[in-house]
Amino acid sequence: MKSIAAIAALTLLTSLTLSSCGAKEFDSSKPIQVITREDGSGTKAAFMEIIGLKGQPDVQNAIIQQGTAAVLAGVKNSMYAIAYDSLGYLTDEVKQISVDGVEGTVENIQSGDYKIARPLNVVYKEATVEGNPLYSAYLDFLASSQAQEIIAENGYVSMREGEEFVVPDNLEGTISISGSTSLQPLMVLLAQEFEDICPKVSVEVNGGGSGVGYSNGENGVSVFGMISEEFAQDKAPSCVPFTVAKDGIGIIVNLSNPIEDISLSDLKTIYDSEAEDPIRSWEEVIG
Amino acid sequence: MTSATLARTKEGIIKWALFLCALFAIFAIIVITVYLFANGLPFIFQTGIDKFLFSSVWNLNAGSYGIAAMLVTTLVLTAMATLGGGVFGLLTAICIYKFLPRFLKKPVGFCINLLSGIPSVIYGLFGLSVVVPFIADYLSLNASGYGILSASIVLMIMVLPTMVSMSLDALNATDPMYYEGALALGSTKEEAVFKIMVPAAKSGIFAALVLSCGRALGETMAVILVLGGSVNYPTGLTVSVRTLTANIAMGAMELTGDDLTALVACGVVLFVLTLLINGVFALFRSKMKHV
Repeated sequence: MKSIAAIAALTLLTSLTLSSCGAKEFDSSKPIQVITREDGSGTKAAFMEIIGLKGQPDVQNAIIQQGTAAVLAGVKNSMYAIAYDSLGYLTDEVKQISVDGVEGTVENIQSGDYKIARPLNVVYKEATVEGNPLYSAYLDFLASSQAQEIIAENGYVSMREGEEFVVPDNLEGTISISGSTSLQPLMVLLAQEFEDICPKVSVEVNGGGSGVGYSNGENGVSVFGMISEEFAQDKAPSCVPFTVAKDGIGIIVNLSNPIEDISLSDLKTIYDSEAEDPIRSWEEVIG
Repeated sequence: MTSATLARTKEGIIKWALFLCALFAIFAIIVITVYLFANGLPFIFQTGIDKFLFSSVWNLNAGSYGIAAMLVTTLVLTAMATLGGGVFGLLTAICIYKFLPRFLKKPVGFCINLLSGIPSVIYGLFGLSVVVPFIADYLSLNASGYGILSASIVLMIMVLPTMVSMSLDALNATDPMYYEGALALGSTKEEAVFKIMVPAAKSGIFAALVLSCGRALGETMAVILVLGGSVNYPTGLTVSVRTLTANIAMGAMELTGDDLTALVACGVVLFVLTLLINGVFALFRSKMKHV
């Protein structure tokens, strides 16, 4: 009986200790915790290129998170964090801040006012796709008004008006798509819609990353390879790109952080490992 | 055909089937070894052994592939996790062995074994959402919770089931007469357990340590989320660092060309490291048996 009492007391004590860990106040003198993505990530490549730090090593003591979900979890759990992530992924568990006074909204990305945005492309071999009615129908569908509706509904930025997609007769077969995990969730939704329109067609969408998108497109492993950056011809010499949509990259901080806006130059300094006058604490940014 | 020859053919078939199964395992290890060394070794020589092993600059864009910092991190983290998990696990096993009331032994043992069924990525998420924020808020000097402290806590929990169940087996396998003899000679329960039974089971406990060490060394998914991931020497408990396994996992899906080969070369180093650790432990163990 003594041991049961001891265990009960221990459980009570643990839960009391844990529940006393309440929210702490934000202290702007604390260092900024820089969260970034792993090398090879399309989002990282796009972000670093846009803020002018292409190919630079990470800042000292940066936290590297694998994948967009891990970035969100990292920001949610760490009060002094700053990170970047695809707009399509942002949840209300983190706080998105504006850059140079421009909010990262669909309108601002379409108009080009919001600077931190990137294209979401598929790459394919022209000969393979044009010679095949199924593949070319899918490409037409990606440009159609139905597709644009799905793109806009899910927080991505539609780049064309699009005409209504009319289903050609007797479409059947399988389309394989693989690559960037940033484009993957949107492509899955588009593929489902296409399968609804053409019941005999199956569209397989796999991830792997932009690197896989290039190589699978180039080697013919997939009909379409997905890449989430500006198309680089040398990575897939025999392919051509098609821009499905644009994706803004949001700058996010913890919900308890009072900051609302950051300048592009401050943002650059935070992520610059070779900055002459590095920004270390939040008070230097919040002012 | 007589029944005797039939039996002999049957036996022959079974013998060959068993032989093929064994061959498959050997074939697998040979293919993996050849793949690792054929791809990794030329890269290491091309980069230069000293540059590869003793430089800590890992910058793919500049073509610098130095793994020293990650190697040190791997060793320190493995040592911390094995030590912590070993102490915790052994004490837990001792507790279950003699100090828990009989009706609690089964449920406690069951709960600890349950830990081994949890996928490692779940441990990582647990670390990311519980351990890292807790350390950042209450223990850390630099307001960050990522680093070897959180990683070794997570790994410690992960090696517990191996450590506990194997040391418990070792304790249970020792002759209970030792224990009763010790009591009869007037020693207390604690003395009998710690001074007689634990030393008697040391070889099994050592085996448990080796296996725990192997798990801590090879674990990737759990630590990748809580280590931070920058290439630094572990100069503090909450400095963002990266282990060799994390380095491979971070790049394996995305990198191509020389960068990918560099990861295979990291695999070679890990492979050799595993061999070394196993070898050293085997040496220790054979020495211990002779004493």
